[in-house]
Amino acid sequence: MIYLDNAATSFPKPAECLRAALESYLEHGASPGRGGYDLAVEAEERVSRVRDRLAHFFGGDEDHHVCFTYNATDALNTLIQGLVEPGCHVVSSRLEHNSVLRPLHHLQRQELIHIDLVPFDDRGFIDPAAVLKAIRPKTRFVLLSHASNVLGTVQPVKELGTICRDRGVPLLLDTAQSAGVIPIRMKEWGVQGLVFTGHKSLLGPTGIGGLVLSPDLHPNPSRYGGTGLDSRSAHHTLEYPQRLEAGTVNLLGILCLDACLSYVEEHQKAHGYEPEMALWKKLRDAMAEVGGVKLYCADDEGDHLPLLTWNLEGHSAEDVGTILDGDFHIAVRTGLHCAPLVHQDLGTIDRGAVRVSLGAFTTEEEIVETIRAISLISRSVSR
Amino acid sequence: MNGEGAKKASASGHRVSRLASREVLLDQEGFLVDPEEWSEEVASGMALEQGLPRLEEPHWRVIRCLREYYLTHGKAPLSREIKKKIGMSLLEIEALFPGGLRAGARRIAGLPNPRGCM
Repeated sequence: MIYLDNAATSFPKPAECLRAALESYLEHGASPGRGGYDLAVEAEERVSRVRDRLAHFFGGDEDHHVCFTYNATDALNTLIQGLVEPGCHVVSSRLEHNSVLRPLHHLQRQELIHIDLVPFDDRGFIDPAAVLKAIRPKTRFVLLSHASNVLGTVQPVKELGTICRDRGVPLLLDTAQSAGVIPIRMKEWGVQGLVFTGHKSLLGPTGIGGLVLSPDLHPNPSRYGGTGLDSRSAHHTLEYPQRLEAGTVNLLGILCLDACLSYVEEHQKAHGYEPEMALWKKLRDAMAEVGGVKLYCADDEGDHLPLLTWNLEGHSAEDVGTILDGDFHIAVRTGLHCAPLVHQDLGTIDRGAVRVSLGAFTTEEEIVETIRAISLISRSVSR
Repeated sequence: MNGEGAKKASASGHRVSRLASREVLLDQEGFLVDPEEWSEEVASGMALEQGLPRLEEPHWRVIRCLREYYLTHGKAPLSREIKKKIGMSLLEIEALFPGGLRAGARRIAGLPNPRGCM
């Protein structure tokens, strides 16, 4: 099996890291922050160390708050619902995933907020000037994905951060696709709220994600319950990190994420993401030569993730995915990738496109085989 | 299908279509809403609509295999199972039907619309 759906969930995982985390969980898996006995205290200390590590990993300081969630969608809902006020205005973009669009549209339908979605250009980038133009006096925040999950284009966050800082509007960044691939410097870039998920390029399991917040951003809780703090109070605590965490955290997920982070840091330190991008370039250049292939926004290798979205003339995207899977044992993602506005603007809203996304374990042989398979499909009788 | 049924169908984005000698309810992409409404006559009617005047033996082999699997397991076969059971590559099956695998073979076989990822 050649796995090229890493933008959805990375696979395979660093097995040794996960085994080590499971061992640790089996030995210390008590209730973090929920008891005075040593095992619970130690579990809480472990979780706390992972929070510190994540703040550092994303370029925050020790005063940044890290709150755990199930995934990026959960983190985005927590952040959006915790920050909006009736009548406020939000700036986002047409590149966004439904994890951003749907919470925003839900609030818009309730007539609580107004939204402006800035467009992307034909290379797949947002123009910072368009964001500046969209900001109004009532803009509560600007929320953008660091990198598009459909196009792979990496947005100019530093420039966007400067604009937001100058206008006094928090910049929130969805790093679901970029975390673990591109080094992130949230403080330096002027990002006040950052969303991540563990199961993509951080190489961890599904079910763990989170938020990193600068010390001056305070989303209100939108879920309430037990926190292990202030139990006499009828109301949810406003202390971090429990402020945005109701119920017991996913300790196994956190331990796994911690272990996988070590792998990611070593990989980043040794190679950056040059090996993946070298393979991406090989794939892109070869596919550009295949008859009938239409590539979307694949020109800028300097500001790109190792994913490629395309269609093959005469074949539906879904059928291409099924053929790659059944005939060649190559797993890719087809359809709309939960980002309908991107496909609307590309003109692919009816049947979507094929997305090939490389990961830390993708090999050159796998890319060569993928090119061969796509060439073979392209030469078959088209309908 | 009576007038009330046709009204309901329209409201849900479904449409009533006369295939061969009977009326069937199709979804927005032309898949049977109720796989039980499938018959060889309906399949031939769907094929004709897609520009395939006659379903030949290789088409029927694919259709029967898909239906048999669906009726036995209550779900469509996995990609690798299709290839194994039918003895043709997916590329060959795709070329056989004017609509390809999904909008052709699967639809004509009366399997439910696989709506994932869209």
